[in-house]
Amino acid sequence: MKNKQTPMKDNSFKTSPKLGEKNGYWKTQGRRLVKHRRILPFLIPAALFTLIFSYIPMLGVSFAFKDGFNLMRGDVMWNMSHFGWTFKNFINIFYSDKFLKALGNTLLINVLKLAICFPLSIILALQLAELKNQGLAKLVLIIVCIPNFLSWVIVISIWNGVLHPDTGFIGKLFFPGRVIMGEDNLFKIFVILLNIWKGIGWGSIIYYAAITSIDKSYYEAATIDGANKLQKAWKLTIPAIMPTIALMLVMQFSGMMAAGFEQIYTMMRANPNLEDTQITIDTYIYDISVVHRTDIPFATALGVFNGLVALLLMVAGNKITTKTLHRSLW
Amino acid sequence: MNQATSNVTEGYIPNLKPKRKNRIKEGILDRSLSVLNIALLFALVLIIVVPLLSYFSLAFSDPYFNDEITIFPTHLSTKAFEYILVGGQSKVFWRSFFNSIIITVVVTVVSNLVEALAAYPLSKPDCPFRGGIMMYFIITMLFSAGIIPCYLLMHQMKLLNTIWSVILISISNVGNLLLFKTFFEGVSMDIQEAAKIDGASDFQMFFRIMVPMALPVFGSCCFFTIVGMWNGYGSAMMFIESSAQDAYPLAYYIYLLLAQASLDKTDDYVMMAAHNIEAAAMLLSIIPILCIYPFVIRYIKGGIQIGSVKG
Repeated sequence: MKNKQTPMKDNSFKTSPKLGEKNGYWKTQGRRLVKHRRILPFLIPAALFTLIFSYIPMLGVSFAFKDGFNLMRGDVMWNMSHFGWTFKNFINIFYSDKFLKALGNTLLINVLKLAICFPLSIILALQLAELKNQGLAKLVLIIVCIPNFLSWVIVISIWNGVLHPDTGFIGKLFFPGRVIMGEDNLFKIFVILLNIWKGIGWGSIIYYAAITSIDKSYYEAATIDGANKLQKAWKLTIPAIMPTIALMLVMQFSGMMAAGFEQIYTMMRANPNLEDTQITIDTYIYDISVVHRTDIPFATALGVFNGLVALLLMVAGNKITTKTLHRSLW
Repeated sequence: MNQATSNVTEGYIPNLKPKRKNRIKEGILDRSLSVLNIALLFALVLIIVVPLLSYFSLAFSDPYFNDEITIFPTHLSTKAFEYILVGGQSKVFWRSFFNSIIITVVVTVVSNLVEALAAYPLSKPDCPFRGGIMMYFIITMLFSAGIIPCYLLMHQMKLLNTIWSVILISISNVGNLLLFKTFFEGVSMDIQEAAKIDGASDFQMFFRIMVPMALPVFGSCCFFTIVGMWNGYGSAMMFIESSAQDAYPLAYYIYLLLAQASLDKTDDYVMMAAHNIEAAAMLLSIIPILCIYPFVIRYIKGGIQIGSVKG
């Protein structure tokens, strides 16, 4: 733990570090409790909200180990003692073809995002920093950030409209007679393209800020040594912003189990024929639990499994950043 | 002496000449790269702006001439807006608009206030059980039980199909708590001690000293909360059924408009102008975001710090 108590003012810890430690720990905490008694109540509202809306739902994890719970029959959450304990919901996860399909889709979409969306933001930041007129660069940035502030349903409607084979001006020109956003094998490409369109500007801001804070004299030295722009970008800028890149990469990696619920579900609803093949873990859980309300314990088990894997990824990501970048994700 | 300097210059000039040649050669590569760079950026701006213009032209267009639109509408009409604002959809639209305003305002004010309050004692280096309390908050950021336990909790609390389910589930925001904590830790002890000596109570200390100093942090936290609440509809999808029209947030209403085309199917105009009506509703829903967009502009112009500090 970070708050390991360091004995203050005297050097007694040097002589007897272990002797007084435990006694001293409670004593110090008690003294601090008294000292801060007036501001500690400030914690209460946040602690209460966290307790009710984060910790009490965590008790719901027990659903995953129960059998036969049925919301439609009027079973209540607190009164679950008459359902037997079972582990089969977790085992069923791996026999479910739909889950395996959903897992594959989720991972594939995330890998594509890492491979395509992630580098594009860095490239845009490099391009913007390369402009001689930085006022222009900021103007471009202000414009390309706009889609980030539109909700997903608007972004999807815009592209549905523009690509519409009868009325959309791109659809009319290039894809007459085809609803290409509703085509099965193009779905993931559109997920990625819409992600780029929405997020490229906002994603590049952090890299742009990192690049503009690099010392200009490095570039002057490189110019005198005869480096061209590509060399400068590759050998100078990229290494200089590597910590930022690594941090963002780890953060992306930690979110591997979620593929953007709002985006994918809305894209499916806009073209309903896609619903069976393009499910991701999020949309699958949503479908079973909220839309069809069929197998609540199974869906809970799925959610718990998903949460555990996400937790593992987060902790692993944090380990990596603290080891290599000496900074914690939280 | 003279000879020495002339030697130096003689030795210097031949060194310089090839360099100049090199520079001119690379200049061509660099210059073509610059041109390419500007061309690509220009293309990107077009890709961003043209679909926006083209789509929102639908809102101003006469539905008979929808297929003539490339970037701007050819035949202007305000019927789509009329239908949304005063016509058949006006009741649901205004209701969801005000729902969204209530949700956004309540969550923004309460969430940021609550998190800032909690961050203040935690920012004290000698806060008792600091590590334990931090762990209590951070665990909720790392692990969530999934949507079903939340759904059942709302079910038990009889909050399903009300805007309160969306509000309450969004209030806890540990990311902002960490931001406030980092900021308060940086406030110099001298100021706090000076205020103490002047007789400030702890409440005064927080509201009169810490909050005004943290205004930039409050600004960006509030901004992101506003954008997130205004545009998000994931929690509404979970807690609000499509039959509960009184509780729609605006983004959810638009989502249902797209997903179900929940329009009056007997009205000929409505059937023809479904896309125009959608576009009009969306354009209206963006207006509040446009109002706070200057904040983004300032954020970009003034150098950016928050993004990398978070966490």
